[in-house]
Parts: sequence; structure tokens; C-alpha cells
Amino acid sequence: MIVAEKVNKSFGKLHVLKDVSLTVQQGEVVVIIGPSGSGKSTFLRCLNYLEPIDNGYITVDGQPVGKRRLPNGRLVDDSRKNLYRLRSRIGMVFQRFNLFPHQTALQNVMEGPITVSRIPVSEAKARAEALLAKVGLADKAQAYPVQLSGGQQQRVAIARALAMQPKVMLFDEPTSALDPELVGEVLEVIKDLARDGMTMVVVTHEMGFAREVADRVVFMDEGSILEDTTPQNIFTRPGHPRTREFLSKIL
Amino acid sequence: MRFGPIDVEFILGILPFLFKGALITIELTVQAIVFGTFIGLFVALMKISRFKVLSILGGFYTWVIRGIPLLVQLFILYYGLPHIGIQLSPKAAAVMGLSICGGAYIAEIIRAGIQSIEKGQMEAALSLGMSYAQAMRRVILPQAYRRLLPPMGNEFIALMKDTSLVSVITMVELMRSGILLNTTYFRPMEIYITVGVVYLIMTTFFIYLISLLEKRLAISDGE
Ligand SMILES: Nc1ncnc2c1ncn2[C@@H]1O[C@H](COP(=O)(O)OP(=O)(O)OP(=O)(O)O)[C@@H](O)[C@H]1O
Ligand SMILES: [Mg+2]
Repeated sequence: MIVAEKVNKSFGKLHVLKDVSLTVQQGEVVVIIGPSGSGKSTFLRCLNYLEPIDNGYITVDGQPVGKRRLPNGRLVDDSRKNLYRLRSRIGMVFQRFNLFPHQTALQNVMEGPITVSRIPVSEAKARAEALLAKVGLADKAQAYPVQLSGGQQQRVAIARALAMQPKVMLFDEPTSALDPELVGEVLEVIKDLARDGMTMVVVTHEMGFAREVADRVVFMDEGSILEDTTPQNIFTRPGHPRTREFLSKIL
Repeated sequence: MRFGPIDVEFILGILPFLFKGALITIELTVQAIVFGTFIGLFVALMKISRFKVLSILGGFYTWVIRGIPLLVQLFILYYGLPHIGIQLSPKAAAVMGLSICGGAYIAEIIRAGIQSIEKGQMEAALSLGMSYAQAMRRVILPQAYRRLLPPMGNEFIALMKDTSLVSVITMVELMRSGILLNTTYFRPMEIYITVGVVYLIMTTFFIYLISLLEKRLAISDGE
């Protein structure tokens, strides 16, 4: 479903991603862990081209991301239109929710289908109501983001991403900005998605979640993937000393 | 009736003439606001554009226009252009000068407003598959314009007062009406105080209108 080959990315002199390669099968849940500044967010943002990559090649659901490979092997920028279509099939959930504050929860969830997919308003509304119900917020449809708790906002944000009926969901530390007692409700929603067979890449520091839900855990450090294995392996016998060091600090 | 140097009957006598001028002032203000806002939005979008050429052009525009006094710009438009074969009517030169100048300040206000919206908003919109234009229209600008209203209100009031400058290019608005009255009667104290009071009434009314608009927006915002 996702194939990233030797992705490199620099901000000025700072080489943030170094030959990062990752493959995610359909229905797989991959959790990315790693210290702050290791490039986890940057890598996630490269997967839907919010961050253009310097070189390397990424495909999602068979579609190239941002750059197309010509028959002679050269990479060229893909058309904007293709990029927009691709992004509409990749859901993204942010650490800081990023709900649209001038819209109600319902309008937030309807926004993508109406503006991007151009489906009729009544249909978008039905879809949005069903999704809000799915994340347990049917009664908050008319609330504005400021009137919602962090956990509720994040659940609306997940519903908003799901409204585009994505093939893949990307989560960037979805619970890091939440009070501890609100983390559970958001993780429950993500676990439900995993059960439904959604393909997901989740950056998180919630090791309990990783252990329970992940098919694979990837450890990133200083822009490289040092380990890519099962949760069992990484937590019981981490293969790399850096992984061991990181886990001993966080667990 | 007389209060010190102020002759009330005289003032009542000149009011109809001043009101005619005031109407022109309002007309100039409204036109300058409309055209200036269009120019301002356009230039602001240029300035934040990822295309270097556009952002440099936009920056050049605001740098030049804000760095040269409006009075000088009006002289160039009205007295300078005829020498290269472009003759503008006083009205056209006035509206053009005020819009071009107002547009530069409005551009800065709009740019600051757009850039005050958290970056995550654009990213959330793009991640749904929106184009840059859709994200601007549906997500960024609706949030920005709530924040823009107060500084825009100030700019509109400044523009209204700046219309008095076009009196120097023979445009008969409120200020020039006062000047003309004074050449006839030579009673500057009464005439210019009255002119000032008429401006004050207009700017006060304007402030009131803008505060009404702000309240309306706050209600539709759910806050
Ligand atoms: N837009 C940017 N411009 C310049 N440097 C950036 C930019 N975005 C990220 N960086 C830098 O790239 C490095 C990797 O950042 P990234 O956000 O990907 O790390 P992370 O693993 O997600 O960390 P965290 O756990 O703190 O979220 C950091 O050193 C960061 O300062
Ligand atoms: Mg991060």
C-alpha cells in the first residue's frame, strides 16, 4: 500500500531523512517510534507530499507521490491535480488537531467531501453524521471546536480525515497534546480503525498502544530507520543499542 | 446668534454647500475602499506566493507606495501624467491615487492577517486534497477576515481622512468646499471648524458601522 524507497530530505544543511525506506502492506498498522528530532514527523509529511522530498521515490496505493518516474528512469514533478487527488486518499491526523475553528464539528467533517469530492451536500451530511456517530460524537455535531475537549477535537479530526474515504491513514502523535485522561478515548477510535482493516502509519510514544495494535514497530533515529520488526521483538529483544537506550528511557 | 467668534447663522448658511462636498467625500471613500481592498487582496496574495517573481513584485509595490507621500503620488497622477500624454479627470486621479495608496496598506493588513493563521490550518486543508486556492478560500480567508476587520476599519477611517488631500488636485470634496467658501467669505475659524465637525461626524458613524459588523461576525462565529 505504501512503498518508500531511499527517501532523502534536508532543511538547508540539516539532513533530516537519510535513505529512509519503508513498505507498508494493505491493512497493516505500522508504528514509528524514536527520539525527538529524529525525523518521524518529517517522514510522515513526505508520505503525502506536504513536505517535498529531495530524492527517493514514494508510492501510495500504486500512485507515485509528488514525483513521477519517466520510462528513462528520471523523476519529474507530478501534476498538481494528481497530487491533490492522491492527498484526498491519504488521511492525516495531526498532533494539534488542526480543526477549522470557524466551522462546527459537522461542517469540519463535511468540508472535504463537499469542496474536494464535490458530492451533494445531503450526502456529505449523512456521511459526516455517520462518522461522528462512529467516533462517539453524534451529539456534538453542532459544536464549534472551541467548545470541545482535546480528545473530542481529535476524534472529530479523525472523522474529518475518514470522510474522504482514504486508503491510508497517517497519525502524527495523535495523543501527545492531550491530557492523560483523554488519551484513551482517542486510542480506542484508532484501534477500531485497525480492527476494520485500515492501513495506518502511527507516530506515537504510547508503547502500550504499539504493543497491542501494531503489526510492526519502526525505530527511527537521526533520520534513519534503525529497526523494523514486530512489537514483540522490539520490546523484548531490541536489536540495536540505540533502540535499547531509547526504550529504557521511555518505558 | 453668536458664541464668541462663532456665528451660528453663518454656519447654518454654509452647511448645504459643505454637505454637497461631504457626499463627494463619502463617494470617494467608498470607491477607494472597494478598489483598494481588491488591490490589497491581490497584492497580499502576491506577497505570500511561493513564486519568487510575484512576491518580489508585491513587495516592491508596498515598498514604493508606502514610502512616498500620498500628496506626491496625487501630484504625479494629476500634474505629471499629462506630460506623457495621459490626462486624468480630477475624480479619476483622486480615486486612482487613493485606491493605489490604500491598497498598499490594506495589502500589508491582509498579509499579516493571513500569516497569523496557524500553519496547521493550511496543512489540514491540503491533506484533505484541497488545492492551494480552495484552502485559501474555504479555510484561511474566512478565518483571516475576522481578524482583519479591526485593522481594516482603522485603514478605512484613515482613507476617509486622506480624501481631504485630493482637494489639491481641484477635486471639490468636503475640504475643497471649505477652501472655496473661505476664499469668498474669509472666515477661516468658523468654516474650518465646521468642516472638521462634519469629518468627525462621518468618521464616528463609520466606526459605529464597523463595530456593528464585528458584532455580527462574532455571533456567526459561535464564540
Ligand atoms: N520546516 C522545517 N524547517 C527546518 N527544519 C525543520 C523543519 N521541520 C523540521 N525540521 C527539523 O528537522 C528535524 C526533524 O524534525 P521532525 O519534526 O521530523 O522530528 P520528530 O521526530 O517528529 O520529533 P518530535 O518527536 O519532536 O515530533 C528536527 O531537527 C527539526 O528541527
Ligand atoms: Mg514530530
